[in-house]
Amino acid sequence: MTDSSPPILRINALTKTFDDFTALHGINLNVRDGEFLAIVGPSGSGKTTLIRILVGMDEPSDGAVWLRGTRIDVVPANKRPTCMVFQSLALFPHRSVGQNIEFPLKLRGVAPAERKARALELLDTLRLPRDYYSKRIQQCSGGEKQRVALARALAFDPEILFFDEPLSALDYRLRKTLEKELKDLHRRTGKTFIYITHSLEEAMVMSDRIAIMKAGRFEQIAPAEEIYARPVSKFVAEFMGEVNFFDLVKGAAPGVALSAAASAALAGQTGTLTIRPESLRKLTAEGVADLSFEGIVTAEYLLGSRIQYRMTLATGQEMIVEVLRENAVEGGIGAALRVGCDLSAAHLIAEAADAAA
Amino acid sequence: MQQRERRLGLLYAAPLSLFLLLTFLAPILLVAGFSTMPEKVFSLTQMPDFSAYRTVLEQGYWKSVAWSLFMALLATLILLVICWPLAYGMAKVFKRFTLVLTIGVVMTLFVSENIRLFGWVLTLMKGGLIEGYWRYWTGQGFDAPLYNGPIIVFGLVYVYLPFMLFPLAQGISMVPDDARQAAYDLGASRWQILKEIDLPLAMPGIMVGSLLTFVLAAGAMAESKLLGGRAIITIADEVQTAFTYGQNWPLGSALAMVLIAIIGTVAIWAISKADLDAMMGRKS
Amino acid sequence: MKTSRLSTALLIAYGIAILGFLYLPLVSVGLASISKARYLSFPIRKYAFGWYEDALTSDTVRDLLVISLKVAGVVTVASMVIGFFGALAFARYNWRFRKTYQKLILLPIFFPQTVLGLALLMWFNALGVVPSWKTAIIAHLVWIAPIATLVVSIRAFSFDAALEEAARDMGANQWQTLREVTIPLLMPGVTSAGLFAFLLSWGNFPLSLFSTGADSTLPEWLFAKMVSGYSPLVPTVGMLTVATSAVLVFGGLILAWAIRRLRPES
Repeated sequence: MTDSSPPILRINALTKTFDDFTALHGINLNVRDGEFLAIVGPSGSGKTTLIRILVGMDEPSDGAVWLRGTRIDVVPANKRPTCMVFQSLALFPHRSVGQNIEFPLKLRGVAPAERKARALELLDTLRLPRDYYSKRIQQCSGGEKQRVALARALAFDPEILFFDEPLSALDYRLRKTLEKELKDLHRRTGKTFIYITHSLEEAMVMSDRIAIMKAGRFEQIAPAEEIYARPVSKFVAEFMGEVNFFDLVKGAAPGVALSAAASAALAGQTGTLTIRPESLRKLTAEGVADLSFEGIVTAEYLLGSRIQYRMTLATGQEMIVEVLRENAVEGGIGAALRVGCDLSAAHLIAEAADAAA
Repeated sequence: MQQRERRLGLLYAAPLSLFLLLTFLAPILLVAGFSTMPEKVFSLTQMPDFSAYRTVLEQGYWKSVAWSLFMALLATLILLVICWPLAYGMAKVFKRFTLVLTIGVVMTLFVSENIRLFGWVLTLMKGGLIEGYWRYWTGQGFDAPLYNGPIIVFGLVYVYLPFMLFPLAQGISMVPDDARQAAYDLGASRWQILKEIDLPLAMPGIMVGSLLTFVLAAGAMAESKLLGGRAIITIADEVQTAFTYGQNWPLGSALAMVLIAIIGTVAIWAISKADLDAMMGRKS
Repeated sequence: MKTSRLSTALLIAYGIAILGFLYLPLVSVGLASISKARYLSFPIRKYAFGWYEDALTSDTVRDLLVISLKVAGVVTVASMVIGFFGALAFARYNWRFRKTYQKLILLPIFFPQTVLGLALLMWFNALGVVPSWKTAIIAHLVWIAPIATLVVSIRAFSFDAALEEAARDMGANQWQTLREVTIPLLMPGVTSAGLFAFLLSWGNFPLSLFSTGADSTLPEWLFAKMVSGYSPLVPTVGMLTVATSAVLVFGGLILAWAIRRLRPES
């Protein structure tokens, strides 16, 4: 999985326009063989349009898609070596679990005995009991249906497996379990997974790389840690979770007290400083940090092992701070609070980069 | 609340139930009673001897029964094939045109069957709309395709088309788009999608449409009389003849009972399988 | 896997062809009704509206019209009332024999109408009732009241049970609940049922044939003339009945559209 190996999927200047609306603006993307790529974006960002074109349910207006060097955007969906797990799962209600899994094999004329053997194997792979083979779809729970849909897609043995938010309808705990299972499954099968979702959390747990989409374009494509630590735009930074922004103009940021070292490092720079609430730490009155902030606590929220505070700075700007429970602020709402962080925890989005997005 | 619903349900169902008891079940029981009487009597006071049923068997009336059922079956199969593409269009492809079609087709139901069949006579007869203009333009006439067996089936197909079309469209609309797309994505051809997904999932609509068409066509008479020139006498026609010209109420009743038994079996079987609440979209 | 433009166009063309197939015979009847010749033959050489004048001034046609209207009128009103209550029991309330009741109601719709007409004739005879247009009303209702019930039921199925409960919760009694909540909500369904009832009674032949006795409705008269020698009035009267139905259907559609338009809240 090095960058030098040829990509399994190459998307070139892909554009999709509807009557008076452009859903995709000349998108480019290379997907590595065997990677787990998550495409994340809010609704309306074009991710569903993109995946529908990639599996062949829709045709692009312009551009091309190559799979291992073969152009596939002109190939109908039923002739492409890829397949998708639908948001609704689209299991056939009139067929048993086994018949659902065997469906792609039946279409290819595989002999019944061989089909059944493969279906049972896949039940094992997905950790479903073998006697589910003859169960009706309606008798399966949400998580079991999920596994059956996965087994059916794996029976197809696709070059690339696409996922269209298949976990979005499940309850939180089941979703967490299945996210991990999916990640394990990816590792075991070694297949290329392309997963679209609006949930960043889901993408972070499972994927090797995340592509963030906004208004029909990719905003940033990188591993999760990199996107989190070094977002290219305010949009990405906010999308990755709660964040504090401070305008930096020629090295000065109102509301932020800078240490000498920090002042030197930021001298003359203009842009937006982004600071995650959890990278801030409580400071005593004389404590020091590269960047420090002072304000009054206006709200507090308990988040399990952590506590989140909202505080208002002297400049009137609101700021979010998250600390471990043991570091709770004495006095709570109304108390004065001083927090700070190292320069390495504050990421600067340079002016030009954000303006382009 | 539940107590109230139980009481109101019973109360509100009463008028229609009592009405049908008196005007539907009672007359059928009367027909059943008459069918056991000796032939050509006009009261129920005789000793039952079931001779009318013997006549039904011995006088070749079973041929009318067989013909009626055969023609009804044929019309049903033809209608399935004719209506499927249109029902598919109505359920999955058309947008506004579905409404136009629905209104257009329902409208024909409100025109007396007689007038519409008579219209076919005017259309198909020698010197009718088709032959008349054909002869006028080409100088060549041809015989009217009327007064034979096939034209009766044609008439049945024509008259009962709406009864196949709407249940089919309803059935096809219940096939989830996702299931069709998933099958396509998994490599199914159009034909395989039809066989593996559309047909099985639209089966309730197919069954309702087919049974409705079959049952109605099996009891039909006007197509044979008006278009077919009674080339084939249907069972309903035999019933009417026995009652009117034959003045043989027990025979007519026995024939009616045969028809009722066949249709009743099919209809009751179908109705008992159907979940009306689910089909009509009941809330909770 | 969208349907291609070509397939869509082909399907629409097929739909238009089917509509053409359904309406072709009415075109023939319509053309025949304005042919001047006493013995119809296509191509029609001379057109004239004389037969319409004859039909509209004929005493026979007037008598037929009056009977048809009386029957259809009473059937309409009765179907609306029976259908309203029948549908509440069919669709709305949970009661013990609901499923059985639903099935009982469907049976007459499936039943061959000729046989039903004859059975009713025997039944009236057994009861000592002389058949007339009044018995025809009963005969029509056996078939039409269940259909009206089904039509209202479609509306009643989408009825939110909480609405009635809310009214009762606020102190409405049985009658007030019915008047303030149930009737207004089901009214569109009841109106369509009335329209269906009128149209189906207006065009019915097999039930009328045996149940009208000495009286005769328009479809009966038409049938009699069709089988026993051609009368140039047949297409004309036929077209007049078709026109009446068409006017009613379109009137109903326009009314429904207008009500939906005028009502501000929806």
